[in-house]
Amino acid sequence: MTKKLLAILVVALLAISLVPATGQEDKPKIGFLPGVVDPFYQVMELGVNQAVADFDLEVITQYPPSWNVSEQTPIPDAYVARGDLDYIITAPVDKDQMIAPLQAAVDAGIKVITVDTFLGDGDYIDGPVTFPLSYIGSDNVEGGRIAGRALADVLGGEGTVYVQNTNVGVSTTEQRGEGFIEAISEFPGMELVGMDYNLDDANRAAEQTSATLQRVPDLGGIFGVNVFSAQGAGNAVIAAGLGGTVQVVAFDATQFAIEMLRNGDVTLVIAQKPFDMGYMAVEFAMADWRGVTSLPRRVPTGYAVITAENVDDPEVARFIYQVP
Amino acid sequence: MVAETTQERQPMLSVRGIVKRFGGLTAVNKVDLDVYPGEVVGLVGDNGAGKSTLIKCVSGVHQADEGEIFFGGARVHIAHPSAAREMGIETIYQDLALAGNLHVGANIFLGREVKKEYLGGVVKVLDETHMLTESEKVLDSLDIHIPSLTQEINNLSGGQRQAVAIARALYWDARLMIMDEPTNNLGVVEQRKVLSLIRTLRDRQVPVILISHSIHDVFAVSDRIVVLRRGRKVTEKVASETNSEEVVQYIVGARDDTREEIPAN
Amino acid sequence: MAVDSQREAALQPVAPKRLTGMQQFVLTVSRVWGWVFLFLLIVFFSITGTGFLSLRNSQNILVAIVPVLLLGLGQTFIIIAGGIDLSVNYVMGLASVVMALVIRDLVANGVDETLAILVGMALGIVAALIPGLLNGLIVAKLRVTPFIVTLGMAFVARGVGYLLSDGNVVGGQPPGVRLFGNEALLYYIPGDGGGLYFLQRPEAAGEQLRVLERIFPWPVVVLAIVVGFGIFLLSKTQFGRHTYAIGGNREAASRAGILVDRHTILLFVMSGFTAGLAGVLHTARFNGGSAIAGEAQLMPSIAAVIIGGVSMFGGVGTIWGTIIGALIMAVLQTGLVMLGVESFWQWIVVGIVVIVAVLIDQGRDLIKGRAEAQLSE
Repeated sequence: MTKKLLAILVVALLAISLVPATGQEDKPKIGFLPGVVDPFYQVMELGVNQAVADFDLEVITQYPPSWNVSEQTPIPDAYVARGDLDYIITAPVDKDQMIAPLQAAVDAGIKVITVDTFLGDGDYIDGPVTFPLSYIGSDNVEGGRIAGRALADVLGGEGTVYVQNTNVGVSTTEQRGEGFIEAISEFPGMELVGMDYNLDDANRAAEQTSATLQRVPDLGGIFGVNVFSAQGAGNAVIAAGLGGTVQVVAFDATQFAIEMLRNGDVTLVIAQKPFDMGYMAVEFAMADWRGVTSLPRRVPTGYAVITAENVDDPEVARFIYQVP
Repeated sequence: MVAETTQERQPMLSVRGIVKRFGGLTAVNKVDLDVYPGEVVGLVGDNGAGKSTLIKCVSGVHQADEGEIFFGGARVHIAHPSAAREMGIETIYQDLALAGNLHVGANIFLGREVKKEYLGGVVKVLDETHMLTESEKVLDSLDIHIPSLTQEINNLSGGQRQAVAIARALYWDARLMIMDEPTNNLGVVEQRKVLSLIRTLRDRQVPVILISHSIHDVFAVSDRIVVLRRGRKVTEKVASETNSEEVVQYIVGARDDTREEIPAN
Repeated sequence: MAVDSQREAALQPVAPKRLTGMQQFVLTVSRVWGWVFLFLLIVFFSITGTGFLSLRNSQNILVAIVPVLLLGLGQTFIIIAGGIDLSVNYVMGLASVVMALVIRDLVANGVDETLAILVGMALGIVAALIPGLLNGLIVAKLRVTPFIVTLGMAFVARGVGYLLSDGNVVGGQPPGVRLFGNEALLYYIPGDGGGLYFLQRPEAAGEQLRVLERIFPWPVVVLAIVVGFGIFLLSKTQFGRHTYAIGGNREAASRAGILVDRHTILLFVMSGFTAGLAGVLHTARFNGGSAIAGEAQLMPSIAAVIIGGVSMFGGVGTIWGTIIGALIMAVLQTGLVMLGVESFWQWIVVGIVVIVAVLIDQGRDLIKGRAEAQLSE
């Protein structure tokens, strides 16, 4: 009985080890490792899956349960241990602490492409980290600038603005705030009245925004660096009877952000392009596999600005993070 | 109070073959004990003899592993202290079991708070005034004076705490009173007061189980004396037929009736 | 003889308040410092900040304390009984998500809007009662320490919240949800053509809309009712008395016939209820459910309880104290933002206030303890 089982097991193992051996010749196998479960990465996964289907490849996707180095690290380790992957497409949750686990993958012969976030300083030519093939993602400082310019545009280049930020030390949101402030300073008629941190809590964002509206009754606009910041800011603005008077800019085009846009809680939504990031990363992997050597090491994917006017335009609506 | 006089001498409490183990330790080993209306039973023994464990099985704090308990002639299962109190078994514990953060009145009525009802009983509010007045009455009847009954127990002296614990047990008409070292923290005058109180209870046909380290106190009020040693009952004597030296010999193990197989009582 | 006379002395009226002037002073301070500090803060910000002492701002502060105070309310009961509940923030998120999902799906399936909202709110709260019940059962019946049980439950509630919401904010709420979360009991428009309006929001636009005051928004009304009931329960009823007794001496409470296990379970269910209510009000106010709706509220809610004078060792504290604690934090937050001071200062001040609060409480206990020690000598 046990002998029979053993025999079956051996045959099965042989079969498994033979299949990738033949497949490996012409098609790369890809591991996708996002940062955390959220609509942004879910849309990125759609892009990955679309490209994988277009090129007839195989992909393995594994989400870390939370945005945390210790949650993300075991996954590349497991990808290496599988032994059948050729590329890892990943959004490292920390630019320093994720270097070692991904270096280990490279040492095992797997090539790494980073999407959305980067390792080191993101400069893979002259920076401290050069092993990833490319960094495909939006420039958050640029995103902040776009938000700042869009808000200045709505306000006619004059007025006071306020920033609702999340946490100190989170690079993406800090950079958005930084870019926003930089863009505002380009307009002589615009003035920044403050920036508060809400710890990613809509209630606190509303509390701080209400207080700011008391302090600055003629506030022109607010930049909420993520969905909860914009949610709280928008709520405070509506409660103060200032809906439509104080302009609120939200970052990231989640469906809820679009709902807020339609309700009038926010005026503008800055959309990143996660689908592009996912799709292009797979394309890059395929190109590298085919021997292309001049792939750009940095690809900024850009932004779309969504307003109540253009939200129904299919050209713009496709940037909404929609997971069917 | 219910007087059980149907039979000549039917015990109020009858404990049969009680065994209580804690892990590998047998704290109480097959103990029988009868307590009759109108008598005081002194329960003595060295530290760790099983006295407190035995009475905690009766007062519902512990559940015996083996054996039976009869109360007022009926077999009972005492699953919880509240069950014991409902039957009329009141206990004064060695550690007093008072909530230090609550005031005197709250402790006397702890677990049996008096409530005022409003809206036909839908809303029930603590009746502090009633509880404080009643507390004062019972403390007065014991000649105990505590300046303010709204004082936290934490602010009282050891003797005052003891007095509160005794007052609490006395307030509720008991059918059986268990007292675990009731004179521990008391001055001489108060000790005498407690002993006379025990006699009063006996005269009212309320049986008392008295646990005490003071052989003197035990002899002063007990009708019968039961000695425990290492979880077993080693003897049971009518108080007038023994003396303190003999009892001490049982306590320290120099004598042991079970070796000679003398039937209890 | 000497021993006897000392014993006699011990039984004399305690004369417990034979304290030095300094001790008496500290005892008084321990009772009133919260009110005084809050008052001073309000005076300070009224002088320094524009519009701090205004109807609008008072309402903003009341709205802001809703989640902190609801979480702190359940927590006050539990900490007085000697426990702690670290799961309240994610239980709040779970309730928020469940309510939003139920309403969204019911409305999408053609169910009447009002009915959908009521069912959604009810199920949101039920979803919060379940972890509360489990917390209570595990603490009471399996004798696991509340710190561990509720920490574990926090992770579970968070995970379930994420799974249900897929990591998204759950939107798609009908307008009624938002009305409940943002409209008010009273409205006031100052100036000509204005006035006081009860229940019915006046038509207003432009400048009138800007000056329209919402007095007692519905979440604040709900908060007031629940907190009022909590105060009654804790200070006037047998349930409250038993809560203190369990925190003061668990064993004594049990021997006095209090069903300690059942009481403990009830307390955790109550904490689940207040957390669930906080989640439901979050969804209503912000028009969407989020698994991390309460994430940042745990520490402030515990801080409010501690500032309010509840002892972490159990047995001591009041809900009024927790209200003061929550108000102190909200006033600081609002006041500092109004001053344009970086909001990090708030953490520093709150941190210092928490530590000072505990020191004051310890001073109080020490003095009481000293009075006791003097007696037992």
